[in-house]
Amino acid sequence: MTSQTPRGSQEALRDEVRAWLHANWPGRDREAPHGWLAKVVEGRWAVPRWPAVWMGRDLDDEHARIVESEFAAVGAPGAGQDRTNLWANTLLARGTDALKEKLVLPLLRGEVGMCLLYSEPGAGSDLASVRTRADRQGDHFRVNGQKVWTSFAATADYGMLIARTDWDAPKHKGIGFFFLPMKQPGVQVRPLRQITGESQFNEVFLTDAVCPQENLLGEATDGWGVLQTALAYERSAMGEAARGPRRGMGQSAPADDPLIALAREAGAMEDPVLRQEIAKVVILKRLNTLNATRAKADMRQGTSSSLMSLGKLAMSRILHEEARVRTLILGAESLLDGPDHPRADDTNFLTLNAYFTSIGGGTDQIQRNIIGERVLGLPKEPEIDRDVPFRAVRTS
Amino acid sequence: MGVLGVAVPERFGGIGGDAVLIEALMEEVGAALVCGPFLSSAVFAAALLENLGDAEISAKLLPQMAAGSLIAAVAVQDAAAAGTQSGVAPKARQKASGWRIEGEVAYVIHADAAHILLVAAETSEGLRVFLVEGNAHGLARSPLSTFDKTLRLSRLRFDATPARRIEARRETTEALANALDLVRVALAGEQAGGARRVLDITVDYAKSRIQFGRPIGSFQAIKHMAADLLLEVESATSAAREAARLLSMGSASAGAAVSLAASACGDAFVKVTADAIQMHGGIAFTWDHDAHLYLRRARADAQLFGTPAFHREQYLRAMGA
Repeated sequence: MTSQTPRGSQEALRDEVRAWLHANWPGRDREAPHGWLAKVVEGRWAVPRWPAVWMGRDLDDEHARIVESEFAAVGAPGAGQDRTNLWANTLLARGTDALKEKLVLPLLRGEVGMCLLYSEPGAGSDLASVRTRADRQGDHFRVNGQKVWTSFAATADYGMLIARTDWDAPKHKGIGFFFLPMKQPGVQVRPLRQITGESQFNEVFLTDAVCPQENLLGEATDGWGVLQTALAYERSAMGEAARGPRRGMGQSAPADDPLIALAREAGAMEDPVLRQEIAKVVILKRLNTLNATRAKADMRQGTSSSLMSLGKLAMSRILHEEARVRTLILGAESLLDGPDHPRADDTNFLTLNAYFTSIGGGTDQIQRNIIGERVLGLPKEPEIDRDVPFRAVRTS
Repeated sequence: MGVLGVAVPERFGGIGGDAVLIEALMEEVGAALVCGPFLSSAVFAAALLENLGDAEISAKLLPQMAAGSLIAAVAVQDAAAAGTQSGVAPKARQKASGWRIEGEVAYVIHADAAHILLVAAETSEGLRVFLVEGNAHGLARSPLSTFDKTLRLSRLRFDATPARRIEARRETTEALANALDLVRVALAGEQAGGARRVLDITVDYAKSRIQFGRPIGSFQAIKHMAADLLLEVESATSAAREAARLLSMGSASAGAAVSLAASACGDAFVKVTADAIQMHGGIAFTWDHDAHLYLRRARADAQLFGTPAFHREQYLRAMGA
């Protein structure tokens, strides 16, 4: 990367972005016009950190942030995909030339639907124990197995797939990473009904699905390594999202806290016991906001922050506690449900949906392992299946 | 190092530190379990004198306090033990020979070592603060045996005890409230700093203690407790520092932030020190190990200047709920 650009180049760059946005973007906080992302790619603003050959500008992080901040200032999407576009980044880092040629630019232009085919019924927290198999047959792989927790599976063109390629290697060393074409007879998608009654995820059944050789990323048994690259991009994109504007639950000011609003409406603010319970939850939310503020300050100073990894655990607790206290406030009313009983309906939904955060994206227990090991430096649990041929590993 | 003058203005020989500096200092006090009348004298008494603003008395006492040659204690009914007693404040009457104080105050922190006492007493014009010499006639100091051995508490009896009224440039209750805000932020800092040190000690122990052929910290039963405690420690730190920041700015939302910090840090310090003993196992059940000293301090701190439950209620009220 050409990072030795002089200071003045920052102002020149800022002027250039502004001029381009002025000429092309319809105006502050307007909707993106048709074909906008293609235009951003064409203007070389989508991935400014990338090399020129992939429509980048070889910019260092400092300069690339200028591009992003100018786009953000007028509410224009599409810049900074060299940090946030999980699919394109993973493909560029590890894909074959043929696949990169075919998909990198369409991914940046938002023309390709993608989904994740990682988790399986038998491989959740322990992702390296996937049992979906990919067997090489001539110039392609034949894929059989079942994936779960896949969003957008029905509309996706490709799924980022991890599948077992070598059953005699230890579990981390016999996995391949693929861009599996989703629109083929061997791929069947079935919506999964969650405990809340909603359906955001799918099960994906793979029966003799075909995946071309060129859609393999990295070596056929180095998929675990490619997955780490992909997960790093995913976390980085999520971390960026967490740095965004304050919104959503756990961030609201106490005065208009929805829990206090409910308690007022239900007459619970007169009850000293409930007041204590309510205060505990409101305080947990406020503490989470303060922790996030400190994390941002730490990051600005370049010090790594243990606070970032605590946020998800804190949010799980807040959501479960808030649902519990809502139930305390409502009492017998929480027996009811449905649109005729909106307070109960909300409370019951929140009670069930709290598990979305405490299980999804790594359970609280896995999160505690990560905090214990990576932040506090405690030793890992011995892994009895680590250096054993996968064939010999015990399953449930 | 001048730390005893941290809350004393520079013109009186102190550092003139604000809440942010005092909180940071108290994190270290908590971590090292510093014993002695730092909070009671260098923070509480100094802040109360400064807030009352009696020019003559401040000029006389604060330089000595900053230099460490004078220790003061504050005797305010229901301050150190807010909500846990419903005692009646002592009464002060003006005689021909000067002011005399009658009555009793319990739970006075580090009064036994104090050279002077700042006593809040009722007068016909309301609550006022009086200066009582440690060797004054009619003053009886009864030390109370305490659970936290590093905390000295006394019950004070005043029997026609001569006193000098401290002039106040603002309402006494307001001066007291301001001083108490600073004390609570300081205490929150002590709690956050103490909790962090105890977690550090516990994590180190979990890395070195071997059972079943492996460090106990590799067991999830221990690791998960440690992760939860880290969240407590970081949250307490955030709360204490935010309260200090807002108080030093004179922000309108400082009161709520102080209550938030007082409740969160009070609970966190107790939780961390209690779990730390459990995580250590047998070694921490011995008197020789420091773990119980931290638990004792944490349990004491959670009572001083209002319990976490008291401050939770204060927090809701500050938020208008």
